[in-house]
Amino acid sequence: MVVKIMSEKFEPNILAFLCNWCSYAGADLAGTSRIQYSPNVKIIRVMCSGRVNPVFILNALQNGIDGVLIGGCHPGECHYETGNYLARRRITILKKLLEYIGIDSRRIKLTWVSASEGQKFADVINEYTAEIKKIGPIKKIVRRNEW
Amino acid sequence: MVDTKKLKNEILKILEKKDVKHVICYTAGSYGFQTRPFFISKKEDIEKIIFSPLCLHNLSLYVNNNDEKKIGVVVKGCDSKSVVQLIQEKQLDRKKIIIIGIPCKGVIDPKKLREKISEPLEQVDVKEIKDKYIITFKDKKHEFNKKDLVFDKCLTCEHPTPIIYDVLIDEKIKPTGKEKYEQVKTFEKQTIDNKWKFWEEQFSKCIRCYACRNVCPICFCEECMAEQLNPQWLYRSVNISENTIWHIMRAFHLAGRCTGCGECERVCPMDIPLMLLNKKLEKEIKELYDYIPGTNPENIPLFAMYKPDDPGGDIK
Amino acid sequence: MKRYTIHKQKINDLIKTLLKKYRVIAPVEKNDIILFKQIERPDEIKLDFTNSKIPPKSIFLPQTETLFKFSTDKDIKLETPKNFEETALFGIRPCDAKSLDILKNVFSDEYEDNLFLSKLKNTLFIGLTCKDPPVNCFCTSVDGSPFGTAGLDILLTDIEDKYFVEIITKKGENLLKIFKDLKPVTKKDIEKKTTIAKNAENKIKRHMQTKNIEKILDQIFENNFWGEIAKRCVGCGICTYLCPTCHCFDIQDEKKGKHGARIRVWDSCMYSEYTKQASGYNPRPSQMNRIRNRIYHKFNYFPKNSQVFGCVGCGRCITECPVNIDIIETINDARQVKK
Repeated sequence: MVVKIMSEKFEPNILAFLCNWCSYAGADLAGTSRIQYSPNVKIIRVMCSGRVNPVFILNALQNGIDGVLIGGCHPGECHYETGNYLARRRITILKKLLEYIGIDSRRIKLTWVSASEGQKFADVINEYTAEIKKIGPIKKIVRRNEW
Repeated sequence: MVDTKKLKNEILKILEKKDVKHVICYTAGSYGFQTRPFFISKKEDIEKIIFSPLCLHNLSLYVNNNDEKKIGVVVKGCDSKSVVQLIQEKQLDRKKIIIIGIPCKGVIDPKKLREKISEPLEQVDVKEIKDKYIITFKDKKHEFNKKDLVFDKCLTCEHPTPIIYDVLIDEKIKPTGKEKYEQVKTFEKQTIDNKWKFWEEQFSKCIRCYACRNVCPICFCEECMAEQLNPQWLYRSVNISENTIWHIMRAFHLAGRCTGCGECERVCPMDIPLMLLNKKLEKEIKELYDYIPGTNPENIPLFAMYKPDDPGGDIK
Repeated sequence: MKRYTIHKQKINDLIKTLLKKYRVIAPVEKNDIILFKQIERPDEIKLDFTNSKIPPKSIFLPQTETLFKFSTDKDIKLETPKNFEETALFGIRPCDAKSLDILKNVFSDEYEDNLFLSKLKNTLFIGLTCKDPPVNCFCTSVDGSPFGTAGLDILLTDIEDKYFVEIITKKGENLLKIFKDLKPVTKKDIEKKTTIAKNAENKIKRHMQTKNIEKILDQIFENNFWGEIAKRCVGCGICTYLCPTCHCFDIQDEKKGKHGARIRVWDSCMYSEYTKQASGYNPRPSQMNRIRNRIYHKFNYFPKNSQVFGCVGCGRCITECPVNIDIIETINDARQVKK
């Protein structure tokens, strides 16, 4: 009983980069359909998942974000044709690098959500929040200053 | 041992051309095991040129097309891969560089040599006889096994002969080693917390001198992300968080571009094992995308292309 | 100057005595690199070393130092950092100790930087003479010595079974109050010390010809001699960071939300942004300008402004430079340059 309360105390900070044409629209659909999803997520809209620079992700993790989600269009459906494919390469390599350094690579997640998948978006957010809750708050590379 | 007479003759031939600014080669250093890059533009300086197993610099760092005139450069096997990578990334015009290739039998790591003999004031002479190095200075003679003194990269070298050149100084050499990523594989087996413990210790040593970035021929950004102030990604504070982000950032920017010359690890004053980091990405990229940097000047950069069936099928 | 000896077996007792009163910082070896770090026990110290990788200036001018903290919660609150603990710096070499004297000049010129000066005031400097200077040492060429006393309160010399102890300053005499195991010197001790000191000086084989170097440099400022050296410089900053007298710094504001601090961090004159102005103009645009500036700073401007060389001859820049830019060679060659 006590353990459950303690784990419930940690509310993760999730940051989601959502591509304007697919996943952001999907998130919007979840909203208009009144589908509930974890309030832990803060959304940043980008035009394409391929715009997400790995440095953004590192900056987010450094500033205390516990999990970064990147939402793009399904492969083959990118509004700009190739953006999500490029994002796939970058995020795959970034995750391998973080794992090798000793940082849990589950803290970065790439997902495909289309504009009509409102329910899927909510499910992804809820599952991801639960996963990050289990992993725990980010500590290793959090910005720490002597001040 | 490399025929330095032939090297000097080739350089003289190049200097005779009117449209050459200088040739980047090696000359003797000021003491002990030191050698240094040398920019020869006058024929009178020809006798200063050397080539020995102590010539460890990657001279492709100094090649650029800023001048109208051509530039000559002496490259070993690993250095030539950096030249190829720079051509691939449109940083160098192949027509404006004259490449003198030297098939390389290995380069001595001064750190390993200093563990065996303390560095003298007098310049040492190195002779290569079969699988041994004979190092003489003053009246002392030392003999060592080559494999005990060369850089780790030389033990697994797959390109001893330069893959791009206008003139080759010696006979081509067949590769004697194969990159099996042994150190990376051993490290991968550790638990995630042990991995962090290791890197936390290493990155805590970092003094953010940026020597690794400055000696890297592939780090050619005019304004490095580390120096950007608007927005500022990296604070100038030196602590484990900023240091780790710096190294992750740099390793990621080298992914698919680093040719494994090892200069970053050589120059690091705090002995951080940077090649252990860069080799990991080299291995992943080879396995995942069958992509090897620095081998084909016609290649498209790794992150500028994709295949529809790229790994990542587990992404939903 | 008061002179004593202490038996080598008693050195651990000396350290333990110091640990009771001071925060003790001494040379520590980790993975083949020697650094000055705080110690808790005498066995952590490594006295059998040439010199530390990073000079002890890092204790008094830390790489990252908070000047003041601020928070904007309700009103703006400023907070100054805590005072520097009473410290005993054990095992510092005479060259590094001299460098702190030189830095004292810089930080008390027109403005007294108390953040730096108070650290020096609160520190007891116990030096260790060099018996075996490594290949790139040239302290004797820049008015220094392997057994010099500048900047030190106490100086120890290894005379085989004992240490020869010289109490140089009044602050050094404080040691006599807390440690009673110092023995009076014998004639033999003095002879041994003199011989060892002479031998150490003779072991220094590299000499920089510094006579009149200031005037010589005045005459060759525009010469392309500097351009030739700069061609291979990669601008990495290792020489400046590991130099005991280099002291360039940058001031940055770092913040997170409503809290932040103004910090001082090491900077290097070798970087391309050195002297780059907000307009984008840079009066030292090329590596040639920057290398020439560094040499002149040490051997021309500093002597002119403070009557000392801005270099103590520790040789770290020569040992660590990736492309063998050798300051001894540079200055000696500069003398041969046709004006």
